[in-house]
Amino acid sequence: MFRRVSTSFYRTAAWRLALRSTLVFAVGSAAIFWVMYIMVARTVRERGDSWLMGESETLRQVALTTPRDALYDRIVEEVAELATQELSWGSHGQHVSGNTVFFALTGDPTHPPLWVGPDESREFLDALQAAGIPPRSPVSLHVPGWNVPFRVVSVGMGPGRGRLYLGLLDSGAIALLRRLLVRFFLGWLLMVALGFLATLFGLRRMLKRVDAITGAAASIRTGDLSTRVPAGPQQDEVARLARTFNNMLDRISASVNQLRTLTDSVAHDLKSPITSVRGSLEIALSLEDRNQAAELVASAIEHLDRLSAVITTSLDVAEADGGALRLHREPANLSELVNRVAELYAPAFVDRQQRLAISASTAAPVSADVTLCNRMLSNLMENELRYAGPGARVSFDVSAENGIARITLEDDGPGFAPDLLPRVFQRFVKGGDSEGHGLGLAFVSAVAVVHGGRAMARNRTQGGAQIVVEIPLASDEAESYSSHNRLTSL
Amino acid sequence: MRLLVVEDDTTIRDFLTRALAESGFRVDACAQGSQAEKLALEGVHDALVVDLTLPDIDGLELIQRLRSQGVTSPVLILSARRSVDERVLGLEKGGDDYMTKPFAVAELQARLRALLRRSTPGQAETTRLRVADLEIDLIRREARRAGVEIQLTQQEFALLEYLCRNAGRVVTRAMVLDHVWKMRIDTSTNIVDVHIHRLRNKVDRESDRPLIRTIRGVGYLLRD
Repeated sequence: MFRRVSTSFYRTAAWRLALRSTLVFAVGSAAIFWVMYIMVARTVRERGDSWLMGESETLRQVALTTPRDALYDRIVEEVAELATQELSWGSHGQHVSGNTVFFALTGDPTHPPLWVGPDESREFLDALQAAGIPPRSPVSLHVPGWNVPFRVVSVGMGPGRGRLYLGLLDSGAIALLRRLLVRFFLGWLLMVALGFLATLFGLRRMLKRVDAITGAAASIRTGDLSTRVPAGPQQDEVARLARTFNNMLDRISASVNQLRTLTDSVAHDLKSPITSVRGSLEIALSLEDRNQAAELVASAIEHLDRLSAVITTSLDVAEADGGALRLHREPANLSELVNRVAELYAPAFVDRQQRLAISASTAAPVSADVTLCNRMLSNLMENELRYAGPGARVSFDVSAENGIARITLEDDGPGFAPDLLPRVFQRFVKGGDSEGHGLGLAFVSAVAVVHGGRAMARNRTQGGAQIVVEIPLASDEAESYSSHNRLTSL
Repeated sequence: MRLLVVEDDTTIRDFLTRALAESGFRVDACAQGSQAEKLALEGVHDALVVDLTLPDIDGLELIQRLRSQGVTSPVLILSARRSVDERVLGLEKGGDDYMTKPFAVAELQARLRALLRRSTPGQAETTRLRVADLEIDLIRREARRAGVEIQLTQQEFALLEYLCRNAGRVVTRAMVLDHVWKMRIDTSTNIVDVHIHRLRNKVDRESDRPLIRTIRGVGYLLRD
């Protein structure tokens, strides 16, 4: 399983991202709540103030229109009392202590001040006097002994008739606003907390999938390439990352497997001849008979030659696969090359009772590395000699069409083993009974590929093997000349 | 004939010195490029064998310096690198031939001889070759053994001609492929043996003095 990647929770990206986004969210929502609160507070105050203004105007009218007789005080007081009770008593008849209202009519030299409201009228009248309240503009007034300010409006009664004051204890509005603030705050807190948790949870879930990928990547270091990340059915970025990562692992493990086969084969292919060489020479040293010793030394040299060929070919194939094999291109006719190599090999086919049919009369001009092509063709011939079996019919056919020179090699031998067929052009892939090093066809393919072509293998339906090698034709003189120049000047 | 061998690997330098001395050359050997430059400038060497990887200066640079200072003796380049580019570059910088390691001593000797022949002109081109009772006419392209004409294919004739030209000397499979078929292919193939076998059947079968010999592990030798 995945190795747990241990990181402190507070250092995870999930925590950091959740914290950051929550912070932004909290500040934003707090600002919105604050604006809403300000607007509500203003509305509440305006409502209180407009009641004060309206009521004070009514009381002024009453005070002005009431004849100044003995009943004046009584009538004004009565009306004021009614007005104050409008708020002091709730709609259900209970006394609302917060909504204390006062009424004062002062400054009339002809009349003592009128007072309706709490008993300590002195403090109120002093405070009113000291504040110097502007007319028809509600202000907040602190009265000693009261925790909450009063909203007070003052109205002039006309020249020489004093001023009328109407005050309303602000506690109702303030309590309302305080309640509002508390609820807003709680709502905001809940929202922020929920938002934070949701973000954190979501991010954690997503990043856990990333963590799984990290775990899988970490397990590669320990040499385990079988680990795959569950990609899930999602199509999001993390799933894509997981899939890409799995694909990458597939490729890496394929390459590593190939490398393992390769190193195994190299170990085998190099160590066996070295062992033989060492053995032969060791025995030769101890032999008295010079001729016998020479025989062993000669066999050692033959082993070394084979070893040297294996190394050269492996390096060539590896370089070609890695795109590092440099070509020394020159204009050549592929048919001619096939004919010449076939001429060299014809006697060997005769010796093996194989019938070799060459059909290479078509002009197939290519810009190719002649040495590499000769070695490739020689490998194809050797391959046939080795595997087509005695008495087989082997045919080489060269054709040129659609810009491609094509060598088609067919035999009626046993063909490729089906499990080998998809891999015949890979290095060190060889049949169970093969004495070769599994480099022959790999080299063929490598040469075709470095020339911009390809090699294909299949079993013919009527039996036997077919190998097709394609190399692009040199389209014209100029091009082959320029590519020749380019490649030699590398 | 005096040779200068420039090779930093002690083992290779020693066996080269020994092998070339055995084939009749006087051999001077050194490991450093600078030392080689001094020796070569004395102008007493008929040919140089230069390894490309030297401890102080690059072999190619050494060759270039020698050429610019008027050293005209042929140079045979030895290298472990295998690229065609390097071969081309080596020949461009003033090398005359190029061999990759590992190589057969026989081939090295043959190439050196070829280089020395080239640098001492004036030898008349022969039209007939003769080894013991084998006679070949290069113009009419006929071969006779004890006066009896041998029917040879073109390839067989070319192969016999090459062996005769090198009579008394070992030729390797690679040399045969290179000179007779003009191909540098995998030398571990035994295709040359097939041809030699056929040629031997025609040249030596009727005679009790076989001329074509196989030197196992090295190559072939045509000798009386």
